[in-house]
Amino acid sequence: MSEIVFKAVTKTFRLPKGGDFLAIDTTDLRIEEKEFVAIVGPSGCGKTTLMRMAAGLEFPSTGTVEVGGKTVRGPGPERAVVFQQFALMPWKTVRENIGFGLMCKGTPKAEADAAIARYVELMGLAGHEDSFPHQLSGGMQQRVAIARAYVMQPAALLMDEPFGALDAQTRIVMQEELVRLARRNPRTVIFITHAVDEAIYLADRVVVMGRKPGRIIETIDIRPLREEGGWEAMPIEEVMDQPAFTHMRSRIWKLLKAREQEKPAA
Amino acid sequence: MVGVATVASALALWWLATSGLRLLNPLRLPAPHEVWTALRQIMGSGYAGATLWEHALHSLGLVARGFLVAVVTGVPLGLLMGWSRRAEALINPIFLLLRPIPALAWIPLAIVWFGLGDTGKVFVIWLTAFVPSVINSFTGVRNVDTVLIAAARTQGASTAQVLRHVVIPGSMPMIFTGLRLSLQASWTTLVAAELVGAFFGLGRVLNIAGQDIFPGMILVGMAAVAICGAGSTWLLGRLERRVLNWRAAV
Amino acid sequence: MANRNFLGPSGVVLGKGEFWALTLAGFSLFFGTWALVAWAGWLPANLLPSPLAVWDTLVRLWQQPFAGHVYADHLLASIQRFLMGWALAVGIGIPLGLLMGWYRILDEIVTPLFDSIRFVAPLAWVPLAALWFGTGIGGPLLIIFVGSFAPCVISAYRGARLVEPRLVEAAQTMGASGRQVMQHVLVPGAMPSIISGLRVSAGLGWQSLVGSELIVVGAGLGYLMVQGQGNLATNIVIAGMIGIGIVGFAIDVVLRGIEAWFKRRWGQA
Repeated sequence: MSEIVFKAVTKTFRLPKGGDFLAIDTTDLRIEEKEFVAIVGPSGCGKTTLMRMAAGLEFPSTGTVEVGGKTVRGPGPERAVVFQQFALMPWKTVRENIGFGLMCKGTPKAEADAAIARYVELMGLAGHEDSFPHQLSGGMQQRVAIARAYVMQPAALLMDEPFGALDAQTRIVMQEELVRLARRNPRTVIFITHAVDEAIYLADRVVVMGRKPGRIIETIDIRPLREEGGWEAMPIEEVMDQPAFTHMRSRIWKLLKAREQEKPAA
Repeated sequence: MVGVATVASALALWWLATSGLRLLNPLRLPAPHEVWTALRQIMGSGYAGATLWEHALHSLGLVARGFLVAVVTGVPLGLLMGWSRRAEALINPIFLLLRPIPALAWIPLAIVWFGLGDTGKVFVIWLTAFVPSVINSFTGVRNVDTVLIAAARTQGASTAQVLRHVVIPGSMPMIFTGLRLSLQASWTTLVAAELVGAFFGLGRVLNIAGQDIFPGMILVGMAAVAICGAGSTWLLGRLERRVLNWRAAV
Repeated sequence: MANRNFLGPSGVVLGKGEFWALTLAGFSLFFGTWALVAWAGWLPANLLPSPLAVWDTLVRLWQQPFAGHVYADHLLASIQRFLMGWALAVGIGIPLGLLMGWYRILDEIVTPLFDSIRFVAPLAWVPLAALWFGTGIGGPLLIIFVGSFAPCVISAYRGARLVEPRLVEAAQTMGASGRQVMQHVLVPGAMPSIISGLRVSAGLGWQSLVGSELIVVGAGLGYLMVQGQGNLATNIVIAGMIGIGIVGFAIDVVLRGIEAWFKRRWGQA
């Protein structure tokens, strides 16, 4: 059981100059077990804050976040996080970085080594086990970060713009790999991004957020499109050329744009 | 808030340990009132040949002279070495030889050369501040962004103008970092030199107080050194803020 | 031939030959001037002995005791004293700095105390150190400690503050305990800053050692120099300076090596 449930969550920040800032207005969201949900929205809409609450790195001002029926009270290895800036420890090798969580858990060495080897293989990191992060390209570093998350066999995976710091080509490769991985090892996933393409391509459902205050504008189920179009069997460029895909993309763009222009518009 | 409380409780603890409960031998750590007595004595009738003002002014004067001479000689030399690779190649060996020797190690030689008077002390303070002045000016020049120099060149600046308007202002932050470090070091050197041998100055006060086993006076001397050091650093900081007014708040 | 470059030194490339010729000229200038002044008799030999005379003195001091010991014993006495005092400063200063970086309350308690004695020049502690711990080993030890303590605390404090919060979060999301976060994230994260602090503190500690030996002890390079000065034996004074310079240089080379090793391993991050 690993569904993620946001119940009437709000988040208020105290401003340094005094006064409060409502970052997230009352939000309800339910992510089913093994469902892949992408959250898109402009910067400052609170999408990262939502993810961090599920991770237990931040706490709602009111309301609760539950994972697998239990209220989140802090970070834990059953909810793995992939950060935008990779957050690999520069003083640990690829192997040590991937194995860090297993070591913390006290997994026996042989078992840990086998698990690390499996994900090194799966993420195409073979031959780099003993490299330090700074010796790897950005794409490779993010592979390590993803392997590090998957190796824990977490119930939920929380990804905060994991491909945001990568160049466009690497990004496409990583998106394809993530789809492959996610279909083979289904998990409950929250995937934060501001790239609409990426959200539609990867997710079962896309949650569109707006800002001032941060809130959910709409939730769109992508599964019917994917199944009808047979996207699973296509390479990513082809998926993104499908009329259904481009149509969905403009629909979400319009949603985002309409909200942005609400105030200044005459 | 916590800061005030800790300092206050440290002072209270000091009083308790010495006067209040007499836990410590007063010959080891004097009670607050003994320090007060020592302070009044040196302010009024004087100690080690002069009053506190005279000792402090004497020490301040030595540091000021040595430091100024070091800046006036060291900064231009560093700028020259930074600007010209030839000058660097020629002069660097001398620094390679002299740099590892701490200025304090020159004190005996300075005494042999100049005796126990002021000249020897100005000499060792000059040495203390000279090396960091040169090195930081040098590094400062090398860190100036070449794009800025190129921009000035495209606007028709001559070499002299590039130096005056780009290189020197650009290396100022680094130069001031060096000055701050070497000012602190100058005080250490001065105290050492005066402890080894002097007729006047705060180090002399410390030396005589140590020989007299007069702990109250030792503390007065230490406090005076600290205040002079902090005061001169503060002055330098004000100067830095004025000269570097173009910098975003640090 | 140096290329003419209008962008100042950064673009100029000095030919290898020219570089070495100038460097050699620099060394010759130094020793040449020294030797010339000494041999020409412009300064009396008891003020400035020639380089050769200093070399002879070094050789002689190596065999015959002066100020109670042969040169090697003075050298060892100084190194030993330095290592003890510095180890004490590192052993106390670094943990203290790290803890101050992590625990705000400790920071608020220690910083004002630290600030109120920071400006006391290390050598100003000499009379008090002598009074408390004597002039044999304890007094000088305190001086070295005071001299090298501040950079240890400050560098560890800065290091602890500069660790990326994201790394701490990442470790926590992987289930690391408080102790594991400390061991695997905070300490290694603070390491680059600590190591550069060690270099500074070793330099200051060595300098304080010299100062304390000039004033209070019965063996060591500083003591050798003071005795030389008392006998107006400038050659012995300079011989002492050379030893001090060499050891100071060696300490810096070792720590630089360690620093470079860490940088290579962890990258510039």
